[in-house]
Amino acid sequence: MITQMHVKGLMFDPYNNAYIVVLRDEEHSDMLPIWVGKSEAGAISMSLENVTPPRPLTHDFMMSFLDAFNAKVISVVITDLSEHTYFSKIHLMYEDSEYTVDARPSDAIALALRSNAPIFANNSVMTKQSSEELEQWLENLKPEDFGKLDS
Amino acid sequence: MDTVDQPNEQGSVEYRVDRILEEANTDTRIIVLARQDGGLDTFPIWVGAAEGNAIKLALDAMITPRPMSHDLIKSFAEHLNITIQRVVITDVKSSTYYATVHVVNKGLERTIDSRPSDAIALALRAPCPIYITQDVLKRRSTTNLDAWLAKLESKDIGAPEVQET
Repeated sequence: MITQMHVKGLMFDPYNNAYIVVLRDEEHSDMLPIWVGKSEAGAISMSLENVTPPRPLTHDFMMSFLDAFNAKVISVVITDLSEHTYFSKIHLMYEDSEYTVDARPSDAIALALRSNAPIFANNSVMTKQSSEELEQWLENLKPEDFGKLDS
Repeated sequence: MDTVDQPNEQGSVEYRVDRILEEANTDTRIIVLARQDGGLDTFPIWVGAAEGNAIKLALDAMITPRPMSHDLIKSFAEHLNITIQRVVITDVKSSTYYATVHVVNKGLERTIDSRPSDAIALALRAPCPIYITQDVLKRRSTTNLDAWLAKLESKDIGAPEVQET
């Protein structure tokens, strides 16, 4: 079973000096916090805020690379969580065939946002992600905490 | 994107990544390209820290536990049978270099606009040659560049070429 997720926001995590991409499902019953690095967060933030940089960033280039031969991103799936690392797959359609490519979630999400492709998560990932302490911390966050990313 | 070879690509010179320097004060990296034919000319390109690291990983042939962004692009190419043929540094405008990545699939060639950092990170992974057009080589400013680089390198402790093991 998979559930469609939406990028709810990006937060800075000062304790780990990293960023958290927060994914939530439509009913707001499940949430996935995914820690990413600064440049990865920047790539996601540019899409969320509809900023077009003067020169193509890596994921803009990635899109051009796929566009050059008319390959389409049809979906991305967060497939697994193992030892604090999330795994994901990018599903591509190219000349009537589907291809599944292994990727880090940060790349998969940055690409999904640029190609308007849906983001899914395996329900098993949601089950694994059950650090109560973390959830409490996230629950206590106010909407204002989902600030814009300065990069 | 999707343009044919530009005439100004005639007489392009092949370069290779010679080394990467860290400029600690500004959190930038300098990618030093050297002529593939052994000529003494070097060609420095300033890039951000993340872009520099993407190039360094490939230069050092480091295998990361998970695919980095340019590994993913290479993976796309492998899955879709796209050959990354060459990358070319084609232009310089207000101190910004422009590059193109040339890809081929089933005899069809496409040219993709790119920052030099992405082009070089991909070229090292493909692997494919890196060219600089005569036009860019003529137009760059070379005043005191070698002296400046020498000064920087003597100060640069973190650079791989001065590390002792």
